[in-house]
Formats: sequence, structure tokens, C-alpha cells
Amino acid sequence: MQRFIFKIYMLILFAGMLVTTSCKKDFLDPSKAPEDQLFTSSAGITGASVGLQRVYSLGRASSLYNIISTNGLVTHEVFLLNQGNLPEAQLSFGGGSVDGTNTMLAGLWTSSNKIIYDANKVIKATSTLTDKGYASGLLGHATVFKVLSLGALSMFWEKVPESNGVNVGFISNTDGFNKAISAIDSVLAIIAANPISSTFTSNVPAGIDIVNTLQALKARYSLFTNNFTQALTAANAVDLTKKSTLNFEAANPNPIYDVAGSNFNVYQPIDSSMGLPVGLQPDLADKRVPFYMVLSGSTASRFLMKGFSGSSTTAVPIYLPGEITLIKAECYARQTTPDLTNALSELNKIVTKKAANDPFGVGADLPALVGPLTQAQLLNEIYRNRSIELYMSGLKLQDMRRFTRPTSERTRNLMPYPFRERDNNTNTPADPTF
Amino acid sequence: MLKYIPQWIVTFKNPLLFLLANLIAVVSFAQVTVNGKVTGQDGNGLPGITISIRNTNFGAASDVNGNYTLTADIKAGNYILVFTGIGFRNTEASLKITGNSRYTINSQLSQDALGLDEVIVTGTSAGTTRRQLGSYISTVKADQLTKGATSNVLAALQGKTAGAQIIQNSGDPAGGISVRLRGISSINSSSEPLYIVDGVIVNNSTTRVTNTSGNYDGSNFVGSIGQNRLADINPADIERIEVLNGAAAAAIYGSRANAGVVQIFTKRGASGAPVISFSTNIMANKIRKKVGVNNATIKFGGSPDAFTQDIITLVGTPAALLTNTTPVQRYDYQDYIFHTGLGTDNNVSVSGGTEKTKYYVSGSYYFNQGIVKNTDFRRYSFRSNIDQTINGKLSFTLGLNYINSASNEKPDGNSFFSPLNSINIIANFHDIFTRDALGNIKAVGERQRINPVSVIEDIKQREETNRIIANAGLKFKPTKNLSFDYTLGIDNYSQNGKTYIPPFAYAANTAFYGGGLTLDPSQNGYSSTANSTYFQINHEINGTYQANISPSLASTTQIGYSLQYEKSSYMLLQGRGLAPFIQTVAGASTKLDPADARGELSISGAYVQQNFKFKNQLFVTGALRVDGSSVFGKDQRNQVYTKASGSYVLSGAEYWQDLGVADWWDLFKLRVAYGESGNLTGIGPYDRFNGYSSLGYLGKTSFFSSSTLANTNVKPERQRELEFGTDLAFAKNRIGVQFNYYTKRVNDLLINRVIAPTTGFSSLLDNFGSLENKGFEIVLNLVPVANKNLRWDITGIYNHNRNKALKIGQALTLISTNAGAPVAILEGQPIGVFYGTFFAVDNNGNQVKNTLGIPLQELGLQTSPLSYTPQRNTAGLPSGSVLRKVVGDPNPDYTASLVNELTYKKFNVRIQLDAVQGVDVWNADWRTRQGVGNGKVAEQEDKGEVPRGFVAGNYNIEQWRVDDGSFIKLREVSLGYNIGKVRNIFSGLTLSLSGRNLISWDNYKGYDPEVNAGGQSTILRGIDFGAVPVPRTFSFGIQAKF
Repeated sequence: MQRFIFKIYMLILFAGMLVTTSCKKDFLDPSKAPEDQLFTSSAGITGASVGLQRVYSLGRASSLYNIISTNGLVTHEVFLLNQGNLPEAQLSFGGGSVDGTNTMLAGLWTSSNKIIYDANKVIKATSTLTDKGYASGLLGHATVFKVLSLGALSMFWEKVPESNGVNVGFISNTDGFNKAISAIDSVLAIIAANPISSTFTSNVPAGIDIVNTLQALKARYSLFTNNFTQALTAANAVDLTKKSTLNFEAANPNPIYDVAGSNFNVYQPIDSSMGLPVGLQPDLADKRVPFYMVLSGSTASRFLMKGFSGSSTTAVPIYLPGEITLIKAECYARQTTPDLTNALSELNKIVTKKAANDPFGVGADLPALVGPLTQAQLLNEIYRNRSIELYMSGLKLQDMRRFTRPTSERTRNLMPYPFRERDNNTNTPADPTF
Repeated sequence: MLKYIPQWIVTFKNPLLFLLANLIAVVSFAQVTVNGKVTGQDGNGLPGITISIRNTNFGAASDVNGNYTLTADIKAGNYILVFTGIGFRNTEASLKITGNSRYTINSQLSQDALGLDEVIVTGTSAGTTRRQLGSYISTVKADQLTKGATSNVLAALQGKTAGAQIIQNSGDPAGGISVRLRGISSINSSSEPLYIVDGVIVNNSTTRVTNTSGNYDGSNFVGSIGQNRLADINPADIERIEVLNGAAAAAIYGSRANAGVVQIFTKRGASGAPVISFSTNIMANKIRKKVGVNNATIKFGGSPDAFTQDIITLVGTPAALLTNTTPVQRYDYQDYIFHTGLGTDNNVSVSGGTEKTKYYVSGSYYFNQGIVKNTDFRRYSFRSNIDQTINGKLSFTLGLNYINSASNEKPDGNSFFSPLNSINIIANFHDIFTRDALGNIKAVGERQRINPVSVIEDIKQREETNRIIANAGLKFKPTKNLSFDYTLGIDNYSQNGKTYIPPFAYAANTAFYGGGLTLDPSQNGYSSTANSTYFQINHEINGTYQANISPSLASTTQIGYSLQYEKSSYMLLQGRGLAPFIQTVAGASTKLDPADARGELSISGAYVQQNFKFKNQLFVTGALRVDGSSVFGKDQRNQVYTKASGSYVLSGAEYWQDLGVADWWDLFKLRVAYGESGNLTGIGPYDRFNGYSSLGYLGKTSFFSSSTLANTNVKPERQRELEFGTDLAFAKNRIGVQFNYYTKRVNDLLINRVIAPTTGFSSLLDNFGSLENKGFEIVLNLVPVANKNLRWDITGIYNHNRNKALKIGQALTLISTNAGAPVAILEGQPIGVFYGTFFAVDNNGNQVKNTLGIPLQELGLQTSPLSYTPQRNTAGLPSGSVLRKVVGDPNPDYTASLVNELTYKKFNVRIQLDAVQGVDVWNADWRTRQGVGNGKVAEQEDKGEVPRGFVAGNYNIEQWRVDDGSFIKLREVSLGYNIGKVRNIFSGLTLSLSGRNLISWDNYKGYDPEVNAGGQSTILRGIDFGAVPVPRTFSFGIQAKF
């Protein structure tokens, strides 16, 4: 009996041991870096900034895909090949077909706000770094994506959120562009004081020339806000021989090529008119058309996109040198005292440019326009050349509004606010009717 | 409740002391033999009846003629002999042991249509009878599980248990099956019940080791598709299944019982000579119904190779539909992808034992082909159950189950390179079999779609699972009133999947792992290997003390502690741009991001339960439970759950006899139960942490924050269920009625709700809302005929459930899904309704059409998610902004089953009808077939029977995709012939012929309304998007006993 009781004791003891040994309840996620730790390490902050580039440029949900596709479908740069792609189809039909459920618009809204949210964290954290040259590079890199996101919101929506937070207020899109400009200004000042170190440059993906990009974006957004003097100054500060690109590789492919360019099932270029009305259509000899599209040989779509969406590894420029020259031309033409001579001279640089003389190989290679041209004629030619030179770059809708093109040339003027914002933020403005 | 802890619970504080004190007992024993015959109401001997002496461990079973002999070492005194058998009421006889050594006691047993005296194991050691239960628990027995021509335990349960909606989501050979007990009980997590096999919590998750495409995030966008791991359990090993529908019944499992509990008990040995059982079946699976295809002799536009999507594609400037036509030959690709799948199911088991050692061992081989060519499922299973009595007080049990299951698959429905979608997404005028000079199959049309021949012949997917489920138990009964038991369970498996998509010889979309128009070798082709490993260990310790407080009042007290620990890991290697001939990831020139996900969680809990029993008529139970799970915030972890139930058997009271109804009214029982439960695995192990994930990007480190912001102090959901019910039996138990009414409400509902993106996040995970399920269940058992030669049993089950989202933190959460189904959660509406655009109708309810006769979408002013005002322009056509409403509901109005079973001499016929009514299905495939030109509406447009542009006009009106999913199915038919003893070779031999899903009466436009492309997802229900239809199965089998 005693032995038996002992056995029972041992069994119960054993069971009790099994039970008590694994009672741990605090398990940590080995695959996530806690926020408070991440932003205390320079490698962590750098990674967070690279993450901004990834969110901005990779995949069908990226800002890049949504900016170029939304703009292209709405302004008839591209032609929808299958209306089974519902969000693309809505944008292609335009008008009331586009509403707050559109997943492309919701995607652009979401990724833009996400990038601004995380960029602000990166920007704040850079102040803690002791290597000032590294910090200014990081600041510049994060600011590029923050500013591109502010710009994207401002190009497609009438009003944009004034900050991140719960129930945030809204400001006009002009103020949105101005916010981007002031962000650029403060960063340029810091970089001027502490030039970007090469250590930093080697820690982020190759391709982005931070200072030239910031100047180019400042010129772009200054032009959009009719601040021509500022735009011209910034444009003149851009080194036109430099390239600044979002790079891709086979495993992280160019999203426009991956989703649309590689097939005949989403969209392809409308045709060699580039969607422009008669009178503005590219000259038959314009070599930018074959740069951007190629005959497909299929009846599915006469043309196949090329340019910056021709393969899975094609890099996408953040700005084209041609855009900067056209900004200069437009500034001269529009400034308070128009300088039509210089405007034509800048425009002719684009009209006559040979592919070999452009860092990206974009070149119309046409005979120069012969002056004198009136301001209106010049602006017409500038619009035409922007539409061709900057084909499928996402800027055309803004240009159409700026050049007051008839609304019949586009399917929408400005976008409705996504329902996920409207339903959860009482400050969401009313949707524009068109 | 805490104020009145009885004194003896306090003394119970030190169970060891208590136990030891009771061990000291001095008795004197003598050996006696009791024999007799057990007969039924017809006077025939009843085999398999258990005869035991109450409050002792002595027992025996009756033989084929009903005779029994029981030997026992007991001292003189008064005893009660108890006769128990499945389907019979427990009967007692008194046994007075005097100086004699032999006694004879005969007994006649009456039927128990409701199984009132069956022992139910509600998760505790002692077990109880159905008579005592305050809540409804259904039991399904072995013979009901094996007659339905399926080897999946969940499919076998279809239509057999009240309150359950069991849906086979895919017709693949191991297609996923989801079980909803009394509706959806969560939004954020699985609504599948907790599965327990012999005390082991078994994992039933759906893990994607194949179909590893990066487009699949596995959440609400795609759902939870694939095999659920209960496919590993062999139904032939099962002795019975108990289903506990909700918290009221299942509160004893507190932590994880929010969606109910399904307890599976496997077969065990009985003392006696070894019994060898053998069964073999051959099966044939066929597609039950093909869908109609376009037979028009022309297509719009030019050559099929240059312009495939002729029905809806706009061409030119201004964009317009083509009206010129080209003659074409039409094909029916269904004849190519489907075939008759064959299968076999073989089981052998040996069981037996001595008085002290009992064993059951079994082996099984199952192989079944799918109706889609080159798909199959194969399962090897071995089990051994051993029960050993060490002495009168101590016994242990050991169960081991090894399973190897493997399947050859094709990509699942949510991709356009799945068998069904590859034929749904192309027009049927392509000769898919033509090959070029090199023998390569060619592109279908100009849109870079996948040729179905590539899917059937070239794309290979295989997954394989190795699994061990082990349980060990120890029972210690120091005195006749006190018992302890300990159960240890381990479930351990590794699931490996491989996918191989060879480089396409033609231009295939990069989204389908093709090389695009240029056949880019860095993109063309795909290979992946994924491995999921899972380990779970659970410990349960219970102590039970039974006491007779007075002759009419008995008490049972239980305390228990349980601990569960889970560890999982998932690894994926993948790449595209495959080298020719190489199937492994090493051959990929473009390595894609790998996955490495790990998880660990633990749950522990303790409970105390007190039960009082008054004269076997009135039963009252109360319980308290504390549970904690590591997945929740530290301060919210430990939660207290309460349970109470009572039942009153009026027909057992003395006054019942005086009412004069007793000769026709046998049973009248009223019951009520209340219970609470949590959902301690309601979020993933690390979901409450906010942080930055990392992936390499262009050769550099990148970090990005999650789209979801979590409340770090999130707490478990809390479900409260109240159930009322009654059990009635009439006409000598030949009519039985059970009725349950329940209301269950889940508060602190975990929702990953949409928030404004300007916050920096897309969604917020927190305890936001509440939902409820209300409903009733009726179970009717009839035995119209029961005599010596003929027995006729009828069972009817009717389930009615109304699900409603009460509060979700916002008026509308609209989920965008891969299938295009606009799944919504709306306050005041059932969860998962389809919320979308709809047809404009006039005051008479007729569709408003344009001048061409094409229906139009309703427009106007939307004032709230559920209210709107349609507007008309001067031409009387819709104008304004897009309107939305609830256009469909995948939650059925009711489900019902009717089983008729006839036994005539040696013949047995069983027929089961299942009905699901008032349910909508999102028929994405039907609409796609019209759009690409292979469907019947497209045929009408080709033939000019509807205006040109009809399909295009309807195409984006979401209501067009909502289809009537109601059906009545001839679910199971079985015909058996029991040859009985054959010479001295077989002690029993049965031949059977059975069928499954033979006929469906429905108005559904697709293959089968019983389908879900969202798999086992909680929220994505009733979506038909490339899912393989459930086949019609015939099976012929032989069961033999040696």
C-alpha cells in the first residue's frame, strides 16, 4: 500500500511539473521591431526611410501605380482593355461612376497618408543622429517621399488633410503644394549646412539624386501654385544632366509594366495621338511617340507601352529634365511681365532635343518653332509638349486644369474622397461634382 | 455565489490529504457470479448491453443472444445492477448479495429515442447523462458517420446535428469544410468550433502551403482557402461525436468555446476475444451538373486569336462594341477538365482485451481522386488506444494516432490559373489543344490568359502532412466518491507544400507567373516550397467528488485546471523566372520575398463546478472559471466566466403518475442554461503589438509599419448564451421531440475596423462592438414501425438562426474581396451581407431600361448606408450618384434535414435530405462567363435574342451577380445487406451501396450553390469564384468481422 501511495504521489508530482513548467505568457514577436527601438538606431531610421520608397513605388497598391494609372485613364492617355478591372473601369467611365468605393483612389489616399505619417517619424528621429551628413541625407530622402505624397494628394483632390491624426482638418490643394514647398525649403537649408555624406547614399537604394529632386519638385509645385519666380529659381537650380529614378528589379518589378504593360488585359496607350485632340496631337515625326509606345502587332491594342514601363526592371524617373525646361518656358511665358523670347527659347530646347542629349533618351528631334508666338500660342505649345514629353507621368490632369482644357477631354476633374475617410472623419469635405 | 461555499469544499483545499484519508478502508470480499438475459420490448435478446454493479468497477456485456455473466469480488449487502445500452433507457435492478455465490437477474429494456440515459462527457472526467443536462448536446454515433460515402469526418456530420451549418466549401478531394454552430460568433477570428479528440485539442487550421502567390494575403481579401486539418481524422476510428453548440453547454471549456465544441471519441477495446474488423470501399466521383455553354455559331469582331473577349470589349474612338461577326466553332471545356475520379477506403482494426487491459488498434488507407483531372487525396492512418487498469483505484489510457496525408492539387479558385477559372475566363471558341511545331500548346486569344491545358497538364501542386496526435490519461479513484483524472494531449504536425508552374511557351500574364508579352525569362514560371509546423500540448487535471447528502439529494463537485501551449512556424521559399526542367526554387532566376512567420501562445485556466441532483428529477449546476491567454494585453488577460444550468424532469416526479398522461406521455423535461465564454485565440499571438516589419528592398533594409493599429491592451471577446429547451417523448418513446431556443450575444467584439487613413493607419484592432445570434432548433425522432422484422426511424432537424451585427464602431465596414464580392458588415444587418449597386426599377418593380432595352443601374441620393432616394432625369432615366443597398445575404433563413431509415430483416436503407433555404450566393463565375462570351446570356447576345450591349450593360451592376442559393439535396443514400455470420470465416458480413450529393433541387445558375471560394473564412461566405463543385459520389463497400 505504501509503495502504491508513493507511486501516486510521483504521478501527481510529475503531472504538476508538466503543468507548471510552461506557464509563461509573455511572448514577443521576433519579426517586428518595436517603434520606440527602431527610431533610436540609425540603421532602423534608414530602413524606415527605404520603406517609404517601397510603399510609394512597389506593386498595384503603390502610389506610383495609382498616380500614373488614375491620371492616364482619366485623361485618355491610356485605354482600358477589360472593364472587369473595376476601379480602372470606373475611372475610365469617369463622372458619377467614380465614387468613394474606388480602390485605386482609396489606395493612393491610404499610401500617401501612410508615407507622410512614417516620413514625419523619420524626419523627427534624424535630429537625434550625431553624424550630421548622414542625418541630412536621411532627412532629404524621407522628405522626397513625403513631398511626393503631399503632391499626389494635392493633384487629385480639391482639399487635402492638414496633418495626420484623428478627425484632421483639411486645407486647399494649393496649401498642400505650399506645404510641400516649405518642407523642401527647410530640408535644403539643412543639407546646405551639412552636405549629404556618401555613407548615407550607400545605405539607400541607388537612383535618387536628393538635392536635384528636391529642387525639381519645388519647381513643379511652385509652378502648380502660380509662383513663377520661385519656380524659375528652383528650375534653374536643377542640374539637367543628372537623373533621379525609382529603380526596380525582377523580384520587385516596375508596377506599371507588371500590372498593365506586360499584357493586354488592363490598359495600354490609347494610340499615337497620346489622347490629345486634333491640333495638339504629336507631329508624325515626333520621336517621343516611338519612345513611349511601340506597335504591338496585335489587334488587341495597336500600341504597347514602352518608355518608363517597358520592362519589369525599367526605372521610373521622379522628374524628367524635360519637365524642368518646360517649367522654365512656362514661367517665362506666364510671369507678371511675360518674357516670350526666353519662353520660346526654352520650349525650343525641348522641341529640338535629340534623344542622345537627354539623360533618359527622351527627344522630340523636331525642327524649332519659329517665332514670334503670342503668349496664348506659346502656352498651347507648352501644354502640347508637356503632354507628350511627360506622357504617362501622372501630371496631365493637373495640367489640364491649369491650362483650362475643356472638361470633355477628361472623365473627371477632381476625385471624390474615399468612403473610408468620409465615414471616419467628420471634416471630410464635400465631393466635387465632376 | 462565492458567499456560500459549502464547508466540504473548504476541506477539499488539500486534495492529497483528503485522498489519503479515504484510502484507509478495511473490507472483506467474496466472489459472486451474476447471470441473466437482457431482452428488448419485442422479447428478443439484446446484444451489447453493459451490465454493471453501481459504485463498483465490476461489469460485463451481453452476448449476441442477450445473455450475460458477471463475476465480482464484493462483500455482502444491497447493490444496484445497471443495464445500459445505446438507444435504450437505463434500467436498474436490485441485487442483494447474501451468502450465495450465484444470482440470476433478467431484465427487459425499453427504447430511448432521445438517448436520455446516454453518458455525455462534457469535458470533465465523471460524465453525466443527458437526463441531467441543462443544455442541449447532440451525439452522433459511428454507424451514422460511415454510411454517407465520405471519409471526411465533418462531411459525415452534415445534417446530423441540430444547430450546425456544415458547408463543404470546395469539391476538391480534401476540400475545406466549415462548421458554424448557431451562426457566426466572431468577426476577427475563425468561427469554427473547438475540436477535441480523446481530450486532445486538435488543430483545424487552414494553412496555405500551396497557392502561395504573393497576391494572396489570406485575410478578408481572399479568405481562408484549402484543406482544413480535420481532414486528417479517420471517421472509421470514431465511436461517437458530441456537439456542444454554444457557451451555455460549453462553458466548461471557457476559454475557447465561443464557437462551440465538437468532441470526438475514438473506439476502444472491450474485454473478450480479439475482434478483427475489416472494411473496404470503392468510390466513384462525378460532376453532378455541368453548366450550359454558349452554342452560338458566330462571335463578334474578328478572329478568335486576335479578339477573344468579344461580348463586352469596347473598341475604337469613340469606344464602341463591335457588331460585325465571324463564324466560330464552340467547345465545352468542361469535358476536358472534369473526369470520373475513383477512390478506395480500406480499414482494418483489431480490438479486445482482458479484464484489465483493453486495446483497439487500427490501420487505414484512403485514396480518392477529384473530379478535376490530376487531383487526389491520400491518407494513411494508424491508431492505437490502450486502456490499462492498474488496480481497482488506478487506471491509465494511452492513445496514439499517426497520419500521413497527401494531395495532388491544382491552383485554387481565386486565381485565374485554376482549372475552373481557366475555363471561366476564356470564350469557348478556342481550340485549346492545338500545338505548334515544337509541340507546345498555344495561347488562348490575345489577352495572355492561361490555357486550361497548362493548368491540367503542367502546373503541379502537392501538399503532404505528417501528424501525430497523442493522448495519455490517468484516472485515480481513491474512494467510491472521489476521483481524479489527468489528460495530456499533444498534436504535432508538419505540412509541406510544393508548387511548380513551368515557364509558359506562350505569352502569359505576369500576374499568372507568365513572362508577359515578351516571355521575359526572369518572370516566366514559378516554384515554391512552404512548410508549416505546429505543436500543441494541453494538460487537463480534474477532481470530482460525489456525495449523497440525503437519500434524495446528491452532489457532485468538480475542480479543474487546464493549460495549453501552441507553437507554430511557417516558412516559404519562392521564386519566378524558372530554368527549364528545374522544379525547385533553386532554379528560379528571380527570388521572391520569403516568408518566415513564427508564433507562440499559451492559455491557462481553472474552474470549480457544483452540481446538485434531487431524486433524479431536478438538476442544478453552477460553475466559475478563470482563464487567461497570452495573446491579450497583460491587464486584461485573466477573465472570469460563469455558468449555470438547471433541468427538471417533470415526468420523473411522483405526481406525473397521478395526472393520467403517463401511459402515452413518457417524458417531459424542461431545461435552462446560461453560460459565458471567451475567445482566447480571437487574435493572433502577436496581433496586439505595434511595430515595424522588415523586407529587403533593392538590396537594402526596409522597414514599414503595419496598416493596422492595435490596442495593446486588447481583451478577449465575451459571449453570453442563454438557452431554454424541452425534451418530450410520447407513445412509449416512439415519438421524441427536442426544442431549443437560444440567444447568444458577443460583447467586446474584436474588430479590425476601418479608420480614416489620415490617422496613418487603415484599421484599428480593438474591442469595438457586439453581435448576436438568436434562433431555435427542433429535433424530431419518430419510430412509426418497430417489430421483429421491420423498423422505421425518422429523424427531422430544423435550425433557424438570425445573426445580427449590433455595434461595429461605425455604420458600415465594406470589405473589398478578390472575387469582387462587396462583403459588408452593417449595423443591424447579418454579418457578411453583399452590399452593392443594383438595378433601377419603376414603381411596379419592373427594371428601368434604356432605349435599347438594356437594364440600368439605380442612381440618386444616398443618405445613409441603408437609405437612399432614387432620382430620375427628364427622360425618366436614373440620374445622380451611385446608390448601394443590401443586395444579398449568405446567411440562410433556415437549414433542415430529414433522415428516413428502414431496416427490414437483413436489409437496411437510409436516406438523408438536407435543405438550406433563403440564402444568396455571389455568383462571380456566372457573370464572368457572360462577359468573356462562353455563357448562355452571351449566347443570347450572339444570337440577337437580347440587344447588343446587354451583357456589358449589366456587367458592373453588382446585383446581377447575386444568385439564389437555396437548395434541397439528396445528401446521403445507403443500402445495406447484412449477411451475418458466414460459416466460420466471418462472424459478420455486410455489403453496402451508398451515394452522396446525388440530387440537388435548386434554381442556382452555377454548378452548386453549396460552395465558398472564401474557404473557411468567417466573413466571406457564399462566394462562387472558381471553386470546384462538390461531386456526386457512389460507393460500394464490404464490412466484415472475424
